Amino acid sequence: MTRPSLTRAALALYPPSWRARYGDEVRALLEDSGGGLAAVASVAWRALPAWFWPPRHLHDRPARMRASLGTALIFWSMLTGLGLVFAQLTQFQGFDVPGHPEIRWAYAVFDVTLAVSVLVAGFGGLPLWLLMLRRARRERRRRDTVYLLLPVIAPVTYLAVLVVTVRLVGGANGVSPWWFGVVTLAGFAAAATAAAGPGLALRRLQPRGPALRLAAAAGGVAAAAMAVAATAIVVAVIGLCLWAPSFAGYRHGTVPGIYLALVVAAAAVTTVSAARGARAARHAGA
Amino acid sequence: MTDRLDRWADPPLLVLASLADEPKHGYAITQDVAQTMGVRLSAGTLYAVIARLEARGLIEPLESDDRRRPYRITAAGAEALAMQSERMSKVASVARERLSTRLGWSGA
Repeated sequence: MTRPSLTRAALALYPPSWRARYGDEVRALLEDSGGGLAAVASVAWRALPAWFWPPRHLHDRPARMRASLGTALIFWSMLTGLGLVFAQLTQFQGFDVPGHPEIRWAYAVFDVTLAVSVLVAGFGGLPLWLLMLRRARRERRRRDTVYLLLPVIAPVTYLAVLVVTVRLVGGANGVSPWWFGVVTLAGFAAAATAAAGPGLALRRLQPRGPALRLAAAAGGVAAAAMAVAATAIVVAVIGLCLWAPSFAGYRHGTVPGIYLALVVAAAAVTTVSAARGARAARHAGA
Repeated sequence: MTDRLDRWADPPLLVLASLADEPKHGYAITQDVAQTMGVRLSAGTLYAVIARLEARGLIEPLESDDRRRPYRITAAGAEALAMQSERMSKVASVARERLSTRLGWSGA
């Protein structure tokens, strides 16, 4: 690798806003000083703090809120889907462990926090969604209109296909495990599609103003509630593995382990993204 | 132990001191700091410091058609540098005075 390529690679590690502002100057400095590998390495090393503590004057808060909302929405949907799988496989089956009220508490906490999260996300995001939808229709942006309607189209289509599938392949005891897996994966695909639509519309329409701030703040609250719901899932699944291993294939730890890893990962990404968006909203409103 | 006593060479302070007389671009700052203060600032450190000082309003960039954009110290930056210099000057003065007394006593 040549030195200009190394410099480019080192600068590529920085946040885009930092690179746009200082990239050329750093390149010029390295050229003038004839800086070797150590100089390039010092540039690469400083990229880490630039992500954690980005300089305030480089903040594009509306862009930060939009990016955070898009990411948080996708992972929030995944987490909600994982939560519904949890509810389907445990709570709706009536699984309980006498002598261990923690499981019942975890179910209750999950129900309440999931409901709070969905309500807050719905009401907080509605003004922004309506604002973007009105603008897309007014400016005849058909693609953006479709993107914005995906949160309605995708779940309705999924539910219709689900009903038909269950009628066709379901027996007296419901669908087979194989079909359950298929409809679950299809559900995640539908959730991802539903969440990706507004995310794409946010990138293309670039809304600003109070509706964006409200949505970002609501995203923070909804993500916090989902983080509590995720904790309840972790407690319930670990509790069932420990105290009721005979239920629903919890004898082996692999499947619950993979499931919990997905829950924790989705909860972490949702919380971090939403927190960054909410923080930007707080500073933008200050 | 003596290595830990070089905190006076805080890069933001060095950059502010370098810009105290006239605006300079990145390379000129590193040269000036190396020649007058004996400290080598790496490119990564320099631009991390420039970004931080600019965010705090202590320095500001000047218009430039060149990639070598000069920076100038602001009034707030000059005030911060003056305060810090005053503090360091007091420490230096006390240290000199006490060392001289002690050396004088030891030598007696």
